Amino acid sequence: MAEEESLEGWAPVIGVEATLDEVVDRAFDYRGDVTLVTARGDELVGYLYNRDRHVAQPFLQMFDADGASHTFRYSEISAIRFTGRDTAAAKSYEAWLRRKAEAGSRPDA
Amino acid sequence: MSVPLSQMWTVATYVLGQRLRGRERYPLVLMLEPLFRCNLACAGCGKIQYPAHLLRRHLTVEQCLAAVKECGAPMVSIPGGEPLMYPEIGRLVEALVEQKKYVYLCTNAILLEEKLDAGLFTPSKYLSFSIHMDGLREEHDEAVCRDGVFDVAVEAIREALRRGFRVTTNTTLFDGANPLRMREFFDAMMDLGVEGMMVSPGYSYAKAPDQEHFLRRQRAHELFRTMLADPKKRWRFNQSPIFLQFLMGKHDFECTPWGNPTYNLFGWQRPCYLLQEGYAASFKELIETTRWEDYGKRSGNPKCRDCMVHCGYEPTAVNHTFGSWRGFRESVVATVTGRL
Repeated sequence: MAEEESLEGWAPVIGVEATLDEVVDRAFDYRGDVTLVTARGDELVGYLYNRDRHVAQPFLQMFDADGASHTFRYSEISAIRFTGRDTAAAKSYEAWLRRKAEAGSRPDA
Repeated sequence: MSVPLSQMWTVATYVLGQRLRGRERYPLVLMLEPLFRCNLACAGCGKIQYPAHLLRRHLTVEQCLAAVKECGAPMVSIPGGEPLMYPEIGRLVEALVEQKKYVYLCTNAILLEEKLDAGLFTPSKYLSFSIHMDGLREEHDEAVCRDGVFDVAVEAIREALRRGFRVTTNTTLFDGANPLRMREFFDAMMDLGVEGMMVSPGYSYAKAPDQEHFLRRQRAHELFRTMLADPKKRWRFNQSPIFLQFLMGKHDFECTPWGNPTYNLFGWQRPCYLLQEGYAASFKELIETTRWEDYGKRSGNPKCRDCMVHCGYEPTAVNHTFGSWRGFRESVVATVTGRL
């Protein structure tokens, strides 16, 4: 399964670049914090850990950095920006392979 | 077969009790993840990639015990993250053992000797350390992306056994695994004196750092057929022989995603330990509102297509054992003769 390009930094215009459902699904799948903007203009930075659009009032849930959980109805959302670092884009395995290759190429290794 | 008789009896009576009650979906093992934090970043793991504020957090013991009670499974597996980094691990395990739950504490063993020295655990038939070992030294250190971890784990296994603990190993296999080296690994684990081994193909986590070495179904069958062909009498596996036969391609099973439900910081994970499609607030909600028909091989869901992981198929193997006389006979024959 090939990993798609990271969405880090993405700030989609809902209804133009993607539908609200699509943006929420992408944010749910994203392993970094996002910034959610409500229709009233309030902003919350946190990790979007749950969402359900198969219920009467679709909702999402986020943990903020202090560990408090927040629930928003889809109808309250104006924008979601992918502002946090994508922790799944870390290249730990590639770094390990590189370190091993470098160690192997050293005369004293 | 190395599962103690008392544990086999507990599981057998539990499963038969569920079937007699006509319960269609019941849990066998609760996968309890008290934290996501880990002291390794393994190539094939997609469990720990979260922002720092989430990695710093963990469930309370009370939340863990409430989940165990709500779920009702007779066995509790504590993976993670690295559970020995959970500050309350001693208290949690003690409480679970008091409740006579069979606990598998899944650890990379880096901190095990330190925790044993600190007196955090007491040997019990209900507690088994399930040590992550992905092969012999070279293979394991590569799988965990750090040199020296295999040797640390071996020393920790020796120390835990010396102190009278139950010790098993859990091994995840990826494409490129050498069946002959794995047979040497089984010998080495038996020489160490572990109670039993668990093996499973890895799941192709989309978030894992290494995306190139996940096993496809046919390739997995070939690997397990070669690896487990003519198994040595001294090899002991801490899992259903029917599951091992499934890995070898001798059974065409469907996944039982509710068999090993997962509880963590986010709630009850839908639909299984491997896929994260959402979270339910209660176990009842998980069972009643998850669209189970969307998952498993026959659903056509591409995320399930190549999955043969123990958390979905070991419960199927157990159901197979207790679902018919034929299944029961196959299990008994494999257990008694050691032939797969």
